[in-house]
Amino acid sequence: MSNATDKQTGAVQTTGHAWDGDLQEYNNPLPRWWVWAFYATFVFAIVYWLIYPTWPVGTSFTKGFGNNITFTNDAGETVTTHWNTRAKLAYDMEFSDGAVKQREYLDLIIGASYDEILSDPDKSAFMRSYAKGLFGDNCAACHGAGGTGVIGLFPNLVDDAWLWGGSTAKIEETLRHGRMGFMPAFAATFDEQQLDAVAAYTLSLSGHEGDAEQVAMGQKIFQGEEGGCYYCHTAAGTGLESVGSANLTDSIWTVANVPGAEGYEAKHAAVRNVIANGISRHMPAWEGRLSDGEIKLLTAYVYSLSGGE
Amino acid sequence: MAHSAVTSTDQYNYEIIKKFAIMAVVWAVLGMGAGVYIASELAWPFLNFDIAEITFGRLRPVHTTLVIFGFGGNALFATSYYVVQRTCQARLYSDALAGFTFWGWNLSLVLGVVGYMAGYSQGREYAEFIWPIDLLIAVTWVVYFWVFVQTLRRRSQPHIYVANWFYLAFILATALLHIFNNLAVPVSLFSLESYSLFSGVQDAMTQWWYGHNAVGFFLTAAFLGMMYYFVPKQAGRPVYSYRLSIIHFWALIFLYMWVGAHHLHWTALPDWTSSLAATFSILLLLPSWGGMINGIMTLSGAWDKLRSDPIMLFLITSLSFYGMSTFEGPMMSLKSVNALSHYTDWTVGHVHSGALGWVAMVSIGSFYHMVPRLWDTKIYSVKLIYVHFFLATIGIVLYITSMWVAGIGQGLMLRAFDEYGNLAYTFVESVTFLHGPYVVRAIGGMFFLTGAVIMAYNFYMTVRAAKREQAAIEAKIAAKMANA
Repeated sequence: MSNATDKQTGAVQTTGHAWDGDLQEYNNPLPRWWVWAFYATFVFAIVYWLIYPTWPVGTSFTKGFGNNITFTNDAGETVTTHWNTRAKLAYDMEFSDGAVKQREYLDLIIGASYDEILSDPDKSAFMRSYAKGLFGDNCAACHGAGGTGVIGLFPNLVDDAWLWGGSTAKIEETLRHGRMGFMPAFAATFDEQQLDAVAAYTLSLSGHEGDAEQVAMGQKIFQGEEGGCYYCHTAAGTGLESVGSANLTDSIWTVANVPGAEGYEAKHAAVRNVIANGISRHMPAWEGRLSDGEIKLLTAYVYSLSGGE
Repeated sequence: MAHSAVTSTDQYNYEIIKKFAIMAVVWAVLGMGAGVYIASELAWPFLNFDIAEITFGRLRPVHTTLVIFGFGGNALFATSYYVVQRTCQARLYSDALAGFTFWGWNLSLVLGVVGYMAGYSQGREYAEFIWPIDLLIAVTWVVYFWVFVQTLRRRSQPHIYVANWFYLAFILATALLHIFNNLAVPVSLFSLESYSLFSGVQDAMTQWWYGHNAVGFFLTAAFLGMMYYFVPKQAGRPVYSYRLSIIHFWALIFLYMWVGAHHLHWTALPDWTSSLAATFSILLLLPSWGGMINGIMTLSGAWDKLRSDPIMLFLITSLSFYGMSTFEGPMMSLKSVNALSHYTDWTVGHVHSGALGWVAMVSIGSFYHMVPRLWDTKIYSVKLIYVHFFLATIGIVLYITSMWVAGIGQGLMLRAFDEYGNLAYTFVESVTFLHGPYVVRAIGGMFFLTGAVIMAYNFYMTVRAAKREQAAIEAKIAAKMANA
């Protein structure tokens, strides 16, 4: 078993085999610490097997000793079972600090009016904490993490302009049932000159003065049967909550990016584009997806984002 | 023993090993390049460019397939054919069949990767190949098994060297895993889509039985085979302990088969199944370390080689990362740790400490040893091996640490409650947090990729020089013949 070619061997011998010229193996014993550590992992495993469900036996499995979980099930009965992840979740939802605290607050909120939620500092602090998550997970994808929306696509919820009404009742209605925002396209109805004229008049409503002749012609179309714009936007141009039409007299724009456009020409082009192509927007309904309590908290949150109507 | 060295190029089939070695390097550069690109897509999403073929979802399996099966697979074919021939002192059983394994394997990779980009995927992680490619792989693999076993049978050595046990276990287990996980019924005879034979939680269980054993047998046992040849060979020292190699070999291959279910903690899988897998994962720790001890202790008494031999640096570093990730793995398999780590980038970091630190580093070290010998020459630049080593190591450290920050950070954010018992963070806030670590990870990947490109250059120059030398010798002989 000795090996003459290896001078460094000392007391340890190789197995006596050699491969590919010089490949050999010492026959060192297993390192003691390795053996003991390996045994220790067995002790760990055996203890684990005794405490937790682990080994299959027939059509069932070992349940583990001294590790039962007691909780109240949905039917209100007290249940004691062997350790399992579903029971652990039920137990945590019943007894953990966070769950207990959250449940107490939720019970308070369900019974409270919007006024009470918004005026009571403690309740409104809970509302903000809870609904921040709801908003982030359900609304922020479109309206943005801060609720400022995207011009042309998703309305800004932070300003004080509301297409469909900004009272808590209206916001709740919007959340529950969703909204369909629609304005017809006028590209086929108006010729180029008429499109230019209506755009100029629309801009003049919010103080952007354009060519007087164009504005006068646009006014005739807007307020007359030729365009009929006043049906939805009203003769004053302030919009109607019942159909979700925009107020054209303020400086808030949700579709045409007038504030972002440099100079009158660009602003005019932006408005003209909307008139020519129309609008078709859709906000989904959240009733059924969110619970009544969640809709209530979210309503109060969205209401408070803009500081109320 | 001189006879094995003098005539090795004639005695052994080196041509097939050269082919596999070249493809391993080609796939390494392409696969790591794909990895760096998708890591960059996560950090800077505009890089998706709204082109379906190069979005993260399509390129991710391209990356994993090319690095695991392209780089890793070709490296294993190359080294296993090299090791089995040299340690058995026998030529490969059949040149034609060995050639078939080369074309079958690499054709599967090309078809698979092009298919992923076109949108054809089976949707099983690390087994995305669609069913016709699965069949080609199965045939290729059975031929590989046959070539390997028949070569072992032709050995002129009485004993089978330890490296070959590991290679054989890897070949056998991979056949088993591949076939069972890919049992599926095609939607129709001419459809590329198929439906898994298993459903629901059994399907998930089968997938992760496969998934973890792909790690265990493909990425661990096989590379331990590589380690058992190239570490003692490069160190010029005998393997530390034959006894340890036997014990940890059998413990490793017995225990690995049980642990896949730890990928399915806190899911619809019965609790006993995943808990049992967790305990077997803990039991697996020391058998895994057996390989690390045997490798590192082989160098005991010759530590000075670390100062003078960059190949040894690669090999020893790979064993250190192997030890680290096989410690991390069992910890992450515990339910309580897993509740934090699962579905976060900690998992991604763990995989890469194994894949870059262990699998890639041991393969790179072995290749620096093997490639000059295959072409019967010297390496073009030892200095570039050092450069490669430091680039690779810095890359891995950046990668792993950034993923620890990303994974543990996101895990903690997703479970944090505020004083009202509400979740403290939204999901998107945790995504925003990930941007920084994702940038660092992409940079780490760039370091590692740069190292791989340098290796490819070093090998290219080595082979070119070898061919010139060969041509010069042939010209000399021809001149002599003409004079005579």
